[in-house]
Amino acid sequence: MIKLLGAVLILFAGTMIGFQQAARLAARPRQLRQLAHALQRLETEIGYGHTPLPEALDRTADAVPEPLAELFRDAAERVRGPEGLTFRESWEQAMTSGWGSTALRQTEQSVLLRLGSTLGISDKEDQLKHIHLALLQLKAEEDAAREDQSRYEKMWKSLGVLIAVLVVILMV
Amino acid sequence: MLDRVMHLLPPELKAVLERLPESAMEQLEEIRIREGRPLELGIRGQSRFAASDGTLRASSDGAYKPTADICRKLLEKITNHSLYAVEEELKRGFITVAGGHRIGLAGRTILDGGNVRGIRDIGGFNIRIAREVVGSGRNLLPKLLDKNRKTIHSTLILAPPQQGKTTIVRDIARSISYGHWGLYEHAAGWSGRKVGIVDERSEIAACVRGIPTFDVGPRTDIMDACPKAEGMMMLLRSMSPEVVIADEIGRPEDGEALREASHAGVSVIATAHAYDLQDARGRPVLRQLLEDGTFTYVVELKRTAEGFMHRVVTADMKDKLPVSAREPTATVARGEQVVGMQRGDVP
Repeated sequence: MIKLLGAVLILFAGTMIGFQQAARLAARPRQLRQLAHALQRLETEIGYGHTPLPEALDRTADAVPEPLAELFRDAAERVRGPEGLTFRESWEQAMTSGWGSTALRQTEQSVLLRLGSTLGISDKEDQLKHIHLALLQLKAEEDAAREDQSRYEKMWKSLGVLIAVLVVILMV
Repeated sequence: MLDRVMHLLPPELKAVLERLPESAMEQLEEIRIREGRPLELGIRGQSRFAASDGTLRASSDGAYKPTADICRKLLEKITNHSLYAVEEELKRGFITVAGGHRIGLAGRTILDGGNVRGIRDIGGFNIRIAREVVGSGRNLLPKLLDKNRKTIHSTLILAPPQQGKTTIVRDIARSISYGHWGLYEHAAGWSGRKVGIVDERSEIAACVRGIPTFDVGPRTDIMDACPKAEGMMMLLRSMSPEVVIADEIGRPEDGEALREASHAGVSVIATAHAYDLQDARGRPVLRQLLEDGTFTYVVELKRTAEGFMHRVVTADMKDKLPVSAREPTATVARGEQVVGMQRGDVP
């Protein structure tokens, strides 16, 4: 009886782990797409609105869903804070502290950190070039992420169940 | 004075300035920050260097020297972390921040086809702390009134830099706009006039996103950061002002626009850099304007230890220059409160 209960629990857990991995794979290209939208929004704010960065970040945050919105909002709040942080410092802090709640990886983070070190310190043309470059890099990542998704999403879903079944068989 | 600009300064610089003596903080007019060179302060028109413990001295030896890092942080703060948003301001060499404080910048210029496109490697800052002195033109205004038209005569205000031109012209704009015509008894029932200000340097009204941070009166429209000549024509066409005010005229197109405005039946109040009327006649644009009779009066301003002193002369070229002593632009009764005025600055 207890063995049966244990087997059911293992099956359930294995399936859930598989589905969760699959969901992470599916979330990454979606969030990459949202991130690209956010940067395009930022590009418009800088290029056409000449909006100062803290305000531009707030507006960008309003235009994208969580958890990405929180990254931008956090950066805007830190730069307004009383510690007198430079923009680069606040951006870096926001990107590292809020990164865990996203499905994004190290490569995207380094793209954003590189962008953060150039934002706000040069003229409009230069700013737009840097944002454009970041957008191109994110696009490449997004394509790769989509490929990963189509290749591994189904695999993870079935793999979770199958491994759980294997463990149950070995136990019995 | 100092607390008005404190929020702009990086923490390291703030710490030094907070150690200044109380009296110096009160009367601070300029903070001049140069990268790697002594920190200079302008206090009541005098130049002093500040040491890191807050003591002031006339010589630059042992003075506090702001580092490159501090200058970078300061630049980020005053541009609100967005250099791209102040490109136009950089082209002109200064940024006006909330509160009307003007920050002059110096560095290496970027040229584009021979024209200055901006400044980079900014290593020099001059923070001029703006002050609003309500009532500073109270004695001057009644002398400029046009009794027939119940408004003000066209007037040119002359003074060297830092002598209070902008402060006076702002107070005049406010008084006309409110209809506070001063001590002149016949003007008691006059209503206020529509005032148009062309604020090329954002100093008169100190607009932040189009909204003035100084009180310039309820009937006042402002063209902010607009070239004077174009701004005057735009105001004339769009806002039907009765009085047009412009700061620091000097280019040929400014003169053209002023002439145009004065022939449109609008009173014009302008300021220019010159020591006195004689000096102003040496400048071609001003000379032409004076000869054409654009201005009825010329006011010469001077700032002394007792406050702003003025002398009104008629602009008519045929008249000999009347020699009269300068008089204070405002008198304040004992115990009367004047907003923004520092004790000892203006009587």
